[in-house]
Amino acid sequence: MSTKSATHNARSPWQLGIPLVWLSLLGLAVTGMAQLEGVFRLFEPDVRSVIYSRVDFSLLLGRHLFVVAIAALVTITVGLAAGIAVTRNKGRDFLPLVSQLASIGQTFPPVAVLALAVPVLGFGTLPIIVALMLYGLLPIVRNTLTGLQEVDAGIKEAAQAMGMTSGQILRQVELPMAAPVILAGIRTSVTINIATAALGATVGASNLGDPIIAGIVNGNTAYVVQGALLIGLLALSVDSTFEQVQRRLKAY
Amino acid sequence: MSLKDPLPVAKGRLCWFSPNWVLLLLSTLALGAFLGLEIVSVAPNRIVSGTGYPVFSALGWPGTLLGAGLILALIGLSCMADQRHYRGAYRAMLAIVMALLGLMPFALMVAIHRLVDSDLPQARLGIGAGFWVTLFVLLLALVELRTRLALARIWSWSLLIPIGLLWWLCLSLWLEPLALMREYHSRSEQFFTAFRQHLELVGTAVGISLMLGMGLALLMRRYPGGQKAAFAVLNFLQTIPSLALFGLLLAPLAWLAANVPLAASLGISGIGWAPALVALVAYSLLPMVRNTFIALEEVSPAVIDAAHGMGMSTRQVFLQVRLPLALPVMLEGVRITTVQAIGLTTVAALIGAGGFGTFVFQGLGQAAMDMVLLGALPILLMASVADALLGAVSDFLRPGGAK
Amino acid sequence: MIELFHVTKRFGDELAVDDVSLKIAKGDFCALVGTSGCGKSTTLRMINRLLEHTEGRISLDGQAIRDFDAVQLRRRIGYVIQSTGLFPHWTVARNIGLVPRLLKWPSAKVHARVEELMDLLGLPEEEFAHKFPHQLSGGQAQRVGVARALAADPDILLMDEPFGALDPITREKLQEELRALQARLHKTIVFVTHDIDEALQLANHLVVMRAGRVVQQGTPLELLHKPADKFVESMLGGVERGLKQAGLARVADHMLPLGSTLPAESRVPGSMTLRQALSVMLRDHTERLTVVDPHERPVGELSMRKLIRESKADQGHQREH
Repeated sequence: MSTKSATHNARSPWQLGIPLVWLSLLGLAVTGMAQLEGVFRLFEPDVRSVIYSRVDFSLLLGRHLFVVAIAALVTITVGLAAGIAVTRNKGRDFLPLVSQLASIGQTFPPVAVLALAVPVLGFGTLPIIVALMLYGLLPIVRNTLTGLQEVDAGIKEAAQAMGMTSGQILRQVELPMAAPVILAGIRTSVTINIATAALGATVGASNLGDPIIAGIVNGNTAYVVQGALLIGLLALSVDSTFEQVQRRLKAY
Repeated sequence: MSLKDPLPVAKGRLCWFSPNWVLLLLSTLALGAFLGLEIVSVAPNRIVSGTGYPVFSALGWPGTLLGAGLILALIGLSCMADQRHYRGAYRAMLAIVMALLGLMPFALMVAIHRLVDSDLPQARLGIGAGFWVTLFVLLLALVELRTRLALARIWSWSLLIPIGLLWWLCLSLWLEPLALMREYHSRSEQFFTAFRQHLELVGTAVGISLMLGMGLALLMRRYPGGQKAAFAVLNFLQTIPSLALFGLLLAPLAWLAANVPLAASLGISGIGWAPALVALVAYSLLPMVRNTFIALEEVSPAVIDAAHGMGMSTRQVFLQVRLPLALPVMLEGVRITTVQAIGLTTVAALIGAGGFGTFVFQGLGQAAMDMVLLGALPILLMASVADALLGAVSDFLRPGGAK
Repeated sequence: MIELFHVTKRFGDELAVDDVSLKIAKGDFCALVGTSGCGKSTTLRMINRLLEHTEGRISLDGQAIRDFDAVQLRRRIGYVIQSTGLFPHWTVARNIGLVPRLLKWPSAKVHARVEELMDLLGLPEEEFAHKFPHQLSGGQAQRVGVARALAADPDILLMDEPFGALDPITREKLQEELRALQARLHKTIVFVTHDIDEALQLANHLVVMRAGRVVQQGTPLELLHKPADKFVESMLGGVERGLKQAGLARVADHMLPLGSTLPAESRVPGSMTLRQALSVMLRDHTERLTVVDPHERPVGELSMRKLIRESKADQGHQREH
């Protein structure tokens, strides 16, 4: 314990800092975008407005986060439940199909999934949420399956032989041991979804993709940079937070 | 503690009915979708949204009974698929699923014949939710049957290709009033241009990133100090959303085109293929480098030792031992990269790079869903085919051949 | 007391254990020996219902194990396996305290018990309690495995090739410790191994299995004296059987009182096995050895001739039985 906590203490302060740095940069960018007018003027000296102002940036960020969070909530719940269900004795029949589906599904580009959701669900925020859910489900299911299946059979048997019930084995042995892999799946899912959600701007969902689309359509690079900057900072904040949590989990 | 203490008594479990629950569920779903949802919709022209028709009015009683009968047979067989004669049952189910997939385009023909007024040149038949769900569920059943029968990859393809050909034949000869085909016919030339552009962009991007990736991986093996930094940069590139990266490249490339005459004469400009290609390569580098690097690193040190011990030169060891052993994993990188690039190229349509994304985004802009489908379906197909082909090649290259 | 009556186990059409009957008395150290795939592990795993037997009856203290709830049953039977099966995400202390916590012991009692066991198995608490399994050597991990199995003080200990993956020196040390432990604790132990020497060393009840059936059972000496067939004989070392038998006896039990003749030059301690003593005789080209106590004082002598006469008488004695 002593060696472990020593290295932790030595490393944690500046490591914990990385997500905080990205987060505070994101906060600064959202609130202070207008102050950077001079900088953006360099990109587009000729246009009238260089700061995207149709909707407030904080509102766009909020909508973006909302969509991603709802999708993440649903995908984590459903993905974990599905991954656990098909690795239990009763659901084992479904394991081959689900694991094949999770790997086949990876070949479907997120844009195509989004495009196919629109005819069914119409324009707006709903199709983007559904597309994010469908697409975000796959890495979580796949990693939950991998994580649970990678738990050494000898350890599961030992747990059973010690007299643990199957519920106890799942909660105290399988899930904790699979946690790093599952978390990596959640990380992939959420990071991809933050980027994919921006595409929602093309189907009428208003979020941080809006300035980018507006910039591309109007040929205003400053808008594009603003949207890209915010999405990039958001992605980096979330990604580095996940990285920290993963590091903690791998401590043993 | 003693074993004589009273203990709770376990309950026994009865097990007399053991169907294949997966296939039972899937075939029941298929039956529900087939009978309960709208199979097709008919619209007099492109603008008006269509009216949906259930299976009875679309196919008439004979067609409905045939379809429902075949699906019911699937349900029956999945209940019989116990351990004793499961192979026979699964083979029969495979035949039925193939038959259903083969009959589906003919069902569309029947629906066109019964529902579409041939006097209206613009009248069109849309494919309804019932049809899509049934198709999807049947494909899932196919995946499940393939696993249960442990069919090799080559087998499932030799089953699917005739079905694909049949569909293609029906689509091109008799299914003109299908909404999808109406969209296609009104822009068939654009369709092939888009196809070509899509292929070119993906091919070039994968080719360039393959070269760069190999080079980078080799450099990283030679200078291990740079590994961490290189992976950090590549990881960072992957976290930037594709849409943003495409947008961000507009300005520098436009500047390049305006200020460097050579760049302009090469056709580089802020919009079009140039920024798309740069972004695609940037995204493709990470999976490519990672797989190449890992593939080369993972070759067992014992094997390399043995090769040196036999008196092979460093060069011989690399070319004759390390590279061949690493090849399947490297190809895995090419596969991931290609599939990813096919998807990303779609987004590149937003910055005028062309490809199937053009149809998707134009369709979304005009609220023309058939046009969206005309773009999205080929993308899905391309991705699946690329995935399967490259997967097959990598299986083939694995020592010991295909599994 | 563990009893198996005509127990059979089938995996599909394959017969893994075929009509096995065993009676393992309380306090017995029973070793199931055989080549891999002979059904010895399967037999063991049926006792704590990791596998359910297909036919026959297994009972503990007269009560059929099918009457117990499997989970409750397992909490009362210790289990040690080759790969130790320690939970990699738990500390040593938490691993050892698993079963007591499953049995909802108060945490102070669990803590005390863990401390006691670590002490018993020679794992200093302050050094090992907070280590994780991957920080342990093979021998240490196996000790933790044994401690975990003993945690709730079960009457029965099942061990499935517990020392199979260890190097010879560590293995010998742990065997010695296990023997000492058993002398103190008097558990009923069922021990699976393919190493006949290990079985002869540790067990007082040997069960030789082959192709799912029990070929022969009895005490180590009974088997060495009278192997039932060629298979058991080759299992027991063929022509080296005599040496194995000598390996089970101590010099002190076979020495003669110091005679009037001149003491032999070569000296051996009384705690040595006869096998080792014979080796010393061959090395030193002598038929006689002087037996000494721990303070190097001569206490008796060992004579090759006497040993051979003794073993003849012994075999005659066996035949009468």
